[in-house]
Amino acid sequence: MDLLPSADQQELVAAAAEFFAEQVPISAVRERRADPAAIAPKVWAEGALLGLLGLAADVAVGGSGRPLDDEALLFRELGRALVPGPFLGSVIGARLAALSGAADLAGFVIEGHTLVAPALLRVDDDVATVADGVLTGRIRLLDPAGAEYALVVTDDGAGLVATAALTDLAPVESSDPGTRMGTARAEAVPVTCWVPATQDPIALRGAVLAAAQLVGIAEATRDLSTAHAKTRIQFGRPIGVNQAIKHRCADMAVSAEAALQQTLFAAVSLRSGRADAEFQVRAAKVVAGRAAITNAAETIQVHGGMGYTYEHDAHLYLKRAHVVDQLFGSRTAQLAPLLAQEAAQ
Amino acid sequence: MDLDFSPEQLLFRDEVRTWLAENAPSEPRPHGAAPMREYDLAWQRTQWEGGWAGIAWPTEYGGRGLTTLQQLIWYEEYARKGMPSIDACFVGLNHAGPTLITRASEEQKAHHLPRILRGEVVWCQGFSEPEAGSDLASLATRGEIDGDDIVVTGQKVWTSFADLADHQELLVRTDRSDRKHHGITWVIADMHSPGIDVRPIETIDGGAEFCEVFYDEVRIPLANVVGEVDKGWAVAMSTLSFERGTAYTAGQVRLAALVENLIELARERTGPDGRRPAIADDEISRRLATCRAEVASLRAMTYAGICRNLASDAPGPEGSIIKLYYSDIAKQVARLAMDVLGPDGLEFVSRWVPGGWSGHYFYSYSASIGGGTSEIQRNIIGDRVLGLPR
Ligand SMILES: Cc1cc2nc3c(=O)[nH]c(=O)nc-3n(C[C@H](O)[C@H](O)[C@H](O)COP(=O)(O)OP(=O)(O)OC[C@H]3O[C@@H](n4cnc5c(N)ncnc54)[C@H](O)[C@@H]3O)c2cc1C
Repeated sequence: MDLLPSADQQELVAAAAEFFAEQVPISAVRERRADPAAIAPKVWAEGALLGLLGLAADVAVGGSGRPLDDEALLFRELGRALVPGPFLGSVIGARLAALSGAADLAGFVIEGHTLVAPALLRVDDDVATVADGVLTGRIRLLDPAGAEYALVVTDDGAGLVATAALTDLAPVESSDPGTRMGTARAEAVPVTCWVPATQDPIALRGAVLAAAQLVGIAEATRDLSTAHAKTRIQFGRPIGVNQAIKHRCADMAVSAEAALQQTLFAAVSLRSGRADAEFQVRAAKVVAGRAAITNAAETIQVHGGMGYTYEHDAHLYLKRAHVVDQLFGSRTAQLAPLLAQEAAQ
Repeated sequence: MDLDFSPEQLLFRDEVRTWLAENAPSEPRPHGAAPMREYDLAWQRTQWEGGWAGIAWPTEYGGRGLTTLQQLIWYEEYARKGMPSIDACFVGLNHAGPTLITRASEEQKAHHLPRILRGEVVWCQGFSEPEAGSDLASLATRGEIDGDDIVVTGQKVWTSFADLADHQELLVRTDRSDRKHHGITWVIADMHSPGIDVRPIETIDGGAEFCEVFYDEVRIPLANVVGEVDKGWAVAMSTLSFERGTAYTAGQVRLAALVENLIELARERTGPDGRRPAIADDEISRRLATCRAEVASLRAMTYAGICRNLASDAPGPEGSIIKLYYSDIAKQVARLAMDVLGPDGLEFVSRWVPGGWSGHYFYSYSASIGGGTSEIQRNIIGDRVLGLPR
C-alpha cells in the first residue's frame, strides 16, 4: 500500500499550481466579476494545451491516460487556487463522450474547444428528470458562457444535452463571484452520450473530483487562517496565542487532513475497482464538503471585520465551497445513500 | 413568576397592533444609500408621530416613559408584521441614545435625543480601527485639545452607515501616556465636518453597509465630549453593554419568525433526495426542530434579561450571553436554510427581498463579528460572569 503521492505526481501538480498562480490569480475572480465568462477564454485554451482537461482521459481521444488519483490531485489544486471555469463539467463530459464512442467530441473538449457546463436538475420547486432518453424540466447551468453542452447526472447515469436545444435561457445572479449561473427549460431535449451508472460509475468519479476540489478549498482556508493568526496583533500578541484561535486552526488542519486522505483513498478505490468504492467515495464527498464549508466559514471569523469584506478572499472560498458541494451529490444528499451501503471492506 | 401580560400591557399590545396595521409602510425598503436613509428616517418619523418612538425613553426627551417590557411588546408585534429592520436608525436608537440617556449632560440630551426619536438624524459608531478591533483600548486616533476644540486625526474602520450618518459616537485618544484604558475620550462628531472622508467598503453579502472613515485635523467642540475628557472608556463600555444587551431584543423576535418561515420552506421545497420535501430528510428535520428549541430559549433569555433590566439601569456582562447565543443561532439558522435550499441556494438573492435566504446566509457571518466577536463574548463570560482565572 502507498497512499502518498509519488514524485511523478508531485511534479505534475506543481506544474499546474504554477500555471494557476501565474495565469489565474484569485484577484482575477474579482476583476472579471462583470464578465460573461468567469475564466478568460485564452487561459482556458492554454490550460487545455497544458493537458489539464485530459489528464485521465484515454490517449486514443487525446488524453494523457493517467490514473484517477492524478486527476484528483489536479482538482485539489483547482480548489486551492480557486480557479474558475467549467473544469469538472468538461472533464466528466469528455469521459462520457469517450465512453459512448464520440471520440471526436471527447477530443474537442479535451483540446478546450468545446465546453461542458454542469447542470443542476432543480429550479425552485421544478425538478427536471431524464426519461426515455430525454430531459424535461427546469435546470440550473453553472458557467454556461460558451458551453455547447450541459452535463446531466441522475442516479441512473449521466449524459449531455446541447445547450442550443434549451429554451428560456436566462442568467441569474450567482452567489459565487467566480461561478456564472443561468436557468433554462428543457422540453423533451434528447440526452446524448448517455452512460448508464451500471456501465461506468461516472457520478462517483465526478464526486471524487469534486471532493478533491473541496479538499483544496479546506487546505487553502486553513493556510489563510493560520497565516493571519500568526501575524495579526491584538492585545499586544498575535491572535494565534489565544486557544480560541489556535484550536480553531488546529481543527481546520484535522478536517482538511481527513478530507484529503479519504478523498485519495476513495480515488484509488474507484480506480482499482474495490468492492466498497461507492462507500468510500460517498464518505469522501461528505467529509470534504463539510471540511471546505466549515474551514472557509471559520476563516471569515478568524479574520474579523476584514473577513466580512468583499476584498478579502475568505468569502470567495466559502461561496465556491457551496457550489462544489452541490455537484455530484451534496453533503446532505450523500448521507442517506452512504448509510445504505454495506460496511467498508 | 408569571408569563401573562397585565390587562394594561394587553391593552398596549392591542394599540400597537391596530396602529401597525394602519401605518405600516407599503413600499419595500429601497436600495442605495440615500434612498435607504430617507426611507428609514421617514418610517422613524411616522413612528414618532404615532407616539411609538422611544417607548422606554424618558418623557422629557420625547420618549413614552414606559418600561422595556412595553418596548418588547412593540418589537414582537413589529416583527410579527414583518416590518422593515431599522438599520439606519439602529445606532441612534439602540446604543448612542441609551448611552446619552445615562451619561450625557442635560444640554446634550435635550439637543440629541428628540432628534433621534423624530427621525431627523442618523448616527454611526466610530470605535474600531485597523489596529484596534477586539483590542479596542489600543485605539490610536488622536484627539489634541486646542482651545475649545478637540482636533482629531486618524482612521476608523468598519463604521456601519458612516456614509449616511449625521453624527458619530467617536472614541479618540486624548492622552498618550501608556495607560491604555485611561486617556480615551467619547465625543460626538458631526459627520459633515471638514476633514472627514468616508469610503464605503463592500461586504460579502453584496451590501456596502460599512465604511472606512479618515479624519484630518477635524475640529470637534469640547462641548461634544460625553462624560469627561480621558474618561471615555467607561462611557464606551456602557455603549457596548447596550449594544450587546437590549439591542438584540428585536433581532431575537425576527430570528424566531425566520425559523418558522424556514420550516414552511422545508415543507414546500424538494429535499436532498430530489423526491420528498426537504422536511422529510432526517438531518434537516432534526436541525429545524433544534433551531426551534434554540430560538424559544433565546426568547426566554431575552424576557429574563428585560425583567433583570427593569430592576437595574444598565445591562451587565450577562448581555454577552444573549449576544453570543443569538449569533450562534443566527448562523445555524442561515446555514440550515442553505441546506434546505440545496442548489437553489447558489443563486444570490438579497436579504432585502422575500426569499432572500442566500443573502441572509452571507449576512449571518457578521453576527459573530460585529458588536464584539464571539470569542470576545466568551472571554467576557469567562472572566466577568464566571470569574474564571485570567
Ligand atoms: C457587519 C459589521 C459591522 C460593524 N460595525 C461597526 C461599527 O459600526 N462601528 C465600529 O466601531 N465597529 C464596527 N464593526 C467592527 C467590529 O466591532 C470588529 O470587527 C470586531 O470588534 C473585531 O475586530 P477586528 O475586526 O479587528 O478583528 P480582530 O480583533 O483582529 O480579531 C480577529 C480574530 O481574532 C479573535 N481574537 C482577537 N482577540 C482575541 C482574544 N483575546 N481571545 C480570543 N480571540 C481573539 C477574534 O475573535 C477574531 O476571531 C463592525 C463589524 C462588522 C462585521
